[in-house]
This record gives sequence, C-alpha cells and structure tokens, in this order.
Amino acid sequence: MSMTAPISSAPSLVAVWSQTDAASAQIFLTGKINVYSLGGVWTQIRDAQDAWLKQDANQSLVFDASKVSSFDGAGIAFLIGVEEAQRKAGGKFEIVGLDARYQPLLKEFDPISNLFPTPTTKPKTSFVVSTGIATQDLIDDARGLITFTGQLTADLVWSIRNIKQVRWGDFVNAAVEAGIAALPIVGLVAFLIGVILSFQSAIGMKQFGAISFVGPIVSLGIFRELGPLITAILLAGRSSAAFAAEIGTMTVNSEVDALVSGGLSPIRFLVVPRVLAGILVAPILTLYADIVSVFASAITMLAYGIPFINFYNGMLSAVDLEDIGSGLLKATLFGIVVSAVGCLRGMQTGTGAAAVGISATRAVVSSIVMIVLVDGVFAFISYKTGF
Amino acid sequence: MDATDKMPANTDYAIDVQNLTVGYGSNVLMKDLNFTVNNGEIFVILGGSGCGKSSLLKNLFGLYQPLSGDVLIEGQNITVAQGAERQKIMTSFGVMYQQGALFGSMNLLENVTLFMQEYTELTQGQMDLLARCKLDLVGLLPYETYMPSEISGGMQKRAAIARAMALDPKILFLDEPSAGLDPITSADLDQTIMDLSKNLGITFVIVSHELASIYAIADKVIMLDKGAKGIIAQGDPKVLRDTSADPKVHQFFNRIMSKDAA
Repeated sequence: MSMTAPISSAPSLVAVWSQTDAASAQIFLTGKINVYSLGGVWTQIRDAQDAWLKQDANQSLVFDASKVSSFDGAGIAFLIGVEEAQRKAGGKFEIVGLDARYQPLLKEFDPISNLFPTPTTKPKTSFVVSTGIATQDLIDDARGLITFTGQLTADLVWSIRNIKQVRWGDFVNAAVEAGIAALPIVGLVAFLIGVILSFQSAIGMKQFGAISFVGPIVSLGIFRELGPLITAILLAGRSSAAFAAEIGTMTVNSEVDALVSGGLSPIRFLVVPRVLAGILVAPILTLYADIVSVFASAITMLAYGIPFINFYNGMLSAVDLEDIGSGLLKATLFGIVVSAVGCLRGMQTGTGAAAVGISATRAVVSSIVMIVLVDGVFAFISYKTGF
Repeated sequence: MDATDKMPANTDYAIDVQNLTVGYGSNVLMKDLNFTVNNGEIFVILGGSGCGKSSLLKNLFGLYQPLSGDVLIEGQNITVAQGAERQKIMTSFGVMYQQGALFGSMNLLENVTLFMQEYTELTQGQMDLLARCKLDLVGLLPYETYMPSEISGGMQKRAAIARAMALDPKILFLDEPSAGLDPITSADLDQTIMDLSKNLGITFVIVSHELASIYAIADKVIMLDKGAKGIIAQGDPKVLRDTSADPKVHQFFNRIMSKDAA
C-alpha cells in the first residue's frame, strides 16, 4: 500500500494522522496543544486510529511531538487516550520528540489503564423494593414527627418553668421577622380577599334581594375561617420557609451539631423561641387581617348602597365575641403548627445547598397540609360543641 | 480613560499589580500594593489571620473590584475589562476557594468537566478522560463518582484544585490549599504543584500558612500586615527566615509565640 496523504491537512489543525500502511502509522503534532486546539481534532484522530486498528496486523503507531511548541494537561490526556486505544488493540506505541520536561507529568499517570475504569451500571431496584423503601421513609417521617412533637412539648413545658432561660432575643427577632415584617402582605391579601368575597357574595345575594345580608355573612366567614386561614398560609409561605432555610443552613454548617455536642438541646435553643414567636404572632396577625378584611368588605358594600352603620349593625347581629375567639384560638394553633413544622424540616436537612431548598419547599407543603388538617379537626369540634 | 492606555501592557509578568488598594467601602485593608508575579513562578501570599489575604486574592482574580489601582493578568487589566474580554481573562486562570466550593449537586467528575463543557469542543468521553487525569493528579481518581458531601474536607479541597485545573490555565490561584490536609497528602500536593510549575510553566498564586510547605515550594513570598496595611516583606522565604530584621517577619517565619517576641 502506498503512503496516503494525511487525512486532515488544514493549517489550523494541531494534530495530523498519517498512515504508511496497515502496520504503521504516525500522528504528527504541531504548535500549541491545549484543551481548545484539540477540540474536534481529537475525535478525528481517534476515529482514524480506530478504523486503522480494525485491520489485522501487528500495528505500530508513532506519536511525533517534535514540532510541539507547548503541551499541557489536555495534550497529555490526548496522548493517553491514543496510547490506551493502541494498548487495548495489542499494537505498539512509541512517543518521539516529546520534550523531556513533560515526561515527569506523563509518569504521574502510570499505569494509564486506571484512567479507563470499566463502566458500572447501578442495579435496578424492583417495584417491591422501591415500595418498601417508600413505606419505610413514610414510617420514619411519621416517627420523626412524633418524636419531635414530644420533645417540643417537653421543651415548651420546660420553658414555662424556666422562663428566664428562654432565648428571648431569638424570640423577639423571630417575632419581628414573622410578625411586623408580614403586616404589609397580610394587609394587602386580607383587603383584597374582603373586597372579592363581598363582590362575589353580592352577585348571588342580589338575586334573592338579600344584599343586606352580605355584610353579616362575609364578616362571620372572615372572623371564623378566612382571617386565620389567610394568615396561616402567608405565615407558612414566609416564616415556615424562612425557619426551615435558616435552621437548615445551620444544620448544613454543623451549627446544630455544635449545640448537641455542647450538651444543649437544639429544640430548646432553636425551635422553642420560634414556636413561641408563632404563638404570639399568629393571633395578632389574624386579628389585623380580620379588621382589614371586614373594613374592605364594608367599603365594597358602599357600592351596593349599604352605609357603614348598617354594615356595622348587621355584623354585630351575626358575629359574637365567641366567633372572634374561636378564630383566634384556631390561629394560635396554626401558628404553632406552621412554626414547628418549619423548624422540623430545617432540622431534617441533609447536606449541601440543594438540601436547604428542599427543606424550605417541604416546610411550606407540610405546613399547608397541617393547616388544612388542623382546620378540619377544628371544624368538626366546633360542629359538635358549637364553639 | 482606560488604565491600559496609560501603561503599556507588560506581558513579561503573569500578574502585575499596580497601586492596588483593597478594602470594603470605607474599610481599607491594604493600601497601594505594588508587586509582580513572574511566569511559571510559585508565588505565596502570607500574613496573619484577618489581614486580608483572601480579599487580596479575590481582587487579583477579579471577583471583587479594588477600591483603586490595577491588576494586569498577562498584560490585560482585569479591573476594567468587560464582557467577552473579561471572560477571556477569566478563562486564563483557575481558582480554588478556601472551602472548595464544589457544586454540591454534581459528582467530582461532573464538577471538573463543567467548565470544559462550556468552553471547549471536546466530546463527553474526551472531557471525562481529561477530568480523570486531573483527579488522578490530586489523588482522587477512585472517587470520581462521589458527591462532594460524601468526601472529607481535605478531599473536597483537592477536588477543587482539580476543577481549577480543568482548562489547563496558565495561572492557578489557590486559597489555603494544604490547610486541613494530612502531611503526606500535603507533601504530595506540594510535589504536584512543583511539577506543574516546572514542567507546564503554570504560575501559582497561593495563600498559605503552612511554613513547611512554603519553604518547600515558594519561589517568592510577600508578607502582608494588618497594621502596616501593606507588604512588610518580600522575597525568598528561607532568606527572610534567616535574615529579616523586622521582628514581625522574624516571628512569623520562626513560629515564635506573640508573648515571647515582646
């Protein structure tokens, strides 16, 4: 076979494949060999080498680096890639003209076969196994929740008996962050819900000529149900997620471990102040949401020709102090649930930045689920007891 | 006016620092620093804790904007460069952060190949081989499929060095590479650094406290001081250890306790 011209002879290429016959071939390198200049060329050379190696002969390849002006880690990786292919096929490989200063680096990679691990495939888990694992996770989660509830209750009782040792500074920070900072968003949402609820109710009630009942019924709904619910859901979105992210980051940074190894209860240090803040803030925010929402409803009813005084009297006829108290009690429960769940998810954080995001998401989802559950239980109790 | 207009680009130096003032807002950490790093040199920045070594390093590689002054990397001013020009300078060096700063959602191999995927035309198989070479250099080849959270802090640092070398940069900035490593690994790392410097001509700018490692590898050191807000000594570390008249420098290089020095 006569000597073939190099396959690739474009001037910009830093490596050229040249084949003398089935048994011998050369790779000529020129210029700067680096991670950028090898792009594309590497594939071309390896393809040519593989095609050549398919012929059955005692093949020897010469890697000619005598015209190289600079050579770096990528060049070495390229060399190793070519050598490994040659070695696998049982051919010979010879390096010519490579500057002596690159030799020590090349030696670092001996034996090069280590760089080509046999790909391992992960064994697939069967449906039964994955169902089992999922169930186990669910049970672990429930157990964690029960343990946490127990510890939290114990530490809350402890904090009542040792009131001076509660971390009141953390409590104030959490209360300000969850409470005062939430006033604008709670106000806005409560106002809009008041307006929307009144308009929607008015559309229906107008058909029965019962427009004057919109005020009382909307007010009752707000005080008993919507005020606490709006507040709790906003708390879940704002504060539960914030608690989870904050405690989650502390978990990732081993700060929680530092408390435990120092003989301190992370629940008492981190969770109790936040739960106490939730207990304080939730009913106050709810009362604020109630007032804003009812006020919004009163303004809306003006458009239907119901003056403030009529709205007010209608509201008084429908809403007792008991209704307001019932709403606030429920709000307090929501406050406990939302802040505790946020803290729990924070403490369950795994490792790494992504884990904190997962914890914050789980905190919001779990909080909202818990809110609905508590609300359902509360509705049942109210129905049975009339409170 | 562009600062590069005033001063002609000097490519004799890997890094040329001119009148650099480092700080945050009104808090000046270091004033009017002037020094150069030669090509292929292992350059170590020293100083007590909190004197602003890491801040200086972040100014050198353009992460933070200096309060004033210029940093020329291979003749190009990184403090004024924008857009594509800046990106080009950024790919000419690699950085290892103090805590490793590996991407937690990727395994070690993926961490190393990430920048290759963005900047080169290599195939995935080629990038994987290249990345394995880098991991082999830092002794982490068996751990390529591990997530950063599954390996120790020292290993994370070494993996971060492998990632910094991904594109075979001409300059490597290492923030405390050997802190937290065992003596053997630390010595291996020193050897790797010296090999890379000698054989591939890579320039190293290293922040370090490890005296043993400094004596072994450093061609030149600068020592920063909080009180002086600048460089109080520069040169060969062994010469400084044996001859410096400055009590602070003498104390540092000879590990003398602060109460004994007084």
